[in-house]
Amino acid sequence: MFKLLKIDFKKIRGSKVFWILTGLYALLIILFFFGVQGFLDNLAEEANKKSPIPLPGLSAYSLPDIWHNLVYIAGYFKIFLGVVVIILITNEYSYKTIRQNVICGMSRWDFLKSKLATIAMITLFATLLVFIIGSILGLMHTDDVTVGKFFGKMEFLLAYYLEIFTYLCMAFLIGILVKRSGFAIGLMLLYFYIVEPVARYYLPDYIGDYMPKHVIGTMIDVPNTSIMSLFGVSFQEYVGILDAALVFAYMILFIGLAYWIMKKRDL
Amino acid sequence: MEENVLSIQNLCKNYGRIKAVDNLCLQVQSGNVFGILGPNGSGKTTTLGIVLSVINASGGTFSWFGKEPSKEDRKKIGAILEVPIFYPYLSGETNLKIVADIKGCSYDSIPELLDIVDLTERRNSKFQTYSLGMKQRLAIAASLLGNPEVLILDEPTNGLDPQGIAEIRELILKISTRGITILLASHLLDEVQKICSHVVVLEKGKNIFTGKVSDIVNASTLVEVAAEDMASLELKLKENENVISVEKENMIFLVNLKESYQSDDLNRSLFSQGSTLTHLAIRKRSLENYFLELTS
Repeated sequence: MFKLLKIDFKKIRGSKVFWILTGLYALLIILFFFGVQGFLDNLAEEANKKSPIPLPGLSAYSLPDIWHNLVYIAGYFKIFLGVVVIILITNEYSYKTIRQNVICGMSRWDFLKSKLATIAMITLFATLLVFIIGSILGLMHTDDVTVGKFFGKMEFLLAYYLEIFTYLCMAFLIGILVKRSGFAIGLMLLYFYIVEPVARYYLPDYIGDYMPKHVIGTMIDVPNTSIMSLFGVSFQEYVGILDAALVFAYMILFIGLAYWIMKKRDL
Repeated sequence: MEENVLSIQNLCKNYGRIKAVDNLCLQVQSGNVFGILGPNGSGKTTTLGIVLSVINASGGTFSWFGKEPSKEDRKKIGAILEVPIFYPYLSGETNLKIVADIKGCSYDSIPELLDIVDLTERRNSKFQTYSLGMKQRLAIAASLLGNPEVLILDEPTNGLDPQGIAEIRELILKISTRGITILLASHLLDEVQKICSHVVVLEKGKNIFTGKVSDIVNASTLVEVAAEDMASLELKLKENENVISVEKENMIFLVNLKESYQSDDLNRSLFSQGSTLTHLAIRKRSLENYFLELTS
């Protein structure tokens, strides 16, 4: 498996597109979270001035809640990583290098494994990014830091890894299905922002609640910040086992479909 | 006993109603240099694609080295199918390293191979900057990685200048002396005649002829003769029972002789009848003639 990752990394290392897109993603996330910090602090100040009761240390960035909050917001940026993965796989089709790899002695299953290894690395990178940003901001914004607080809600990082990995498997599947980058990206955006939301509007809940985008996106629920509790609305403060299992099931489904399509088709 | 390196049984591939490969059977033995001939669309590349596991057959079977096909066989095969395929944004050398990684062999032979195909100077340039000839040469270097037992070359001289074609021919001849089995798909019939030991001719997906090149080329003796008195020569030729046919060609007669009858026999016979030849030459039947006869 490591050997396969090495081969795939050699292919990616020289790809300017990959590094630029990934770099932009990292920059975007960093700027967003550090930039928004100032905005939220202002909000908190204003809210504090206007309320009759002093609000508790209101900060989206205090440990341990920061893990939940960051991961929830960061999930909205996964579309950029999806584009990267689609480009990586559709390039192999447009250059026909997937065909040559198989001729040289790679099995289709090996090829799939090498791509999954790369996706796992990309997901790891995204998760580490959130971890580092979270650690820095969390330590800055928490009054008394304890080990308990630091690791308190870290299961959200694990859930984040699962969410991003499964989402990228879906992007990967679309890329394999369609083989052309523009078409694949368009299809993914279309499905995510139009097709599924519309379908969920019309379909009954027992179908709509199990559609992929919804399942992947709501495993991590809207965080229960103190602002929200003012309005008496309560959300899920933990990651449900059942929700995670469903996401995992989708991951297996996407990988299985990807392998089946690759096997059946002529390269 | 010689084992079949490649054995193809009743191979079929359909694209809708089109039969690209139609019940094809073929055996290739170790050390053969097998020419695969056929008009465009005859199924050459499709067949090669199937035995390299990139195209799924609609029917029939094939086996490499007498065993069920697996990716391990392909690691012992160097192949170019249709066009050289590499990562355009990576250098020639990096591309070769990736092939070496897939085949599981070391990078040690890469400098030597780059030298053999004359790409050492451009090894660090991106593949997309290579000319067609350079791309073809890199593909040949890649196919030689890992000391393959079999080489499959689909039109390896495509797009090369005459010097390049001659170089590739020399390279293939050199490789064939090492005992490596070579499958060469080509349109250049005189190249195939010079390099190959066996040929298979495909047409519309069917195997219409398999045999040794030497058999075709030596099949019958064609002799060119001429004399001062052409009319009387013609009479004497037609009377000769060992002559199959006589054809007039410009200033000479092209005579088709029976198998056991040689040019010196004819010369002796005509001289004893009073005809002195001014021209006597043996014309080897060419693969090109035979191929055009077969496929017309």
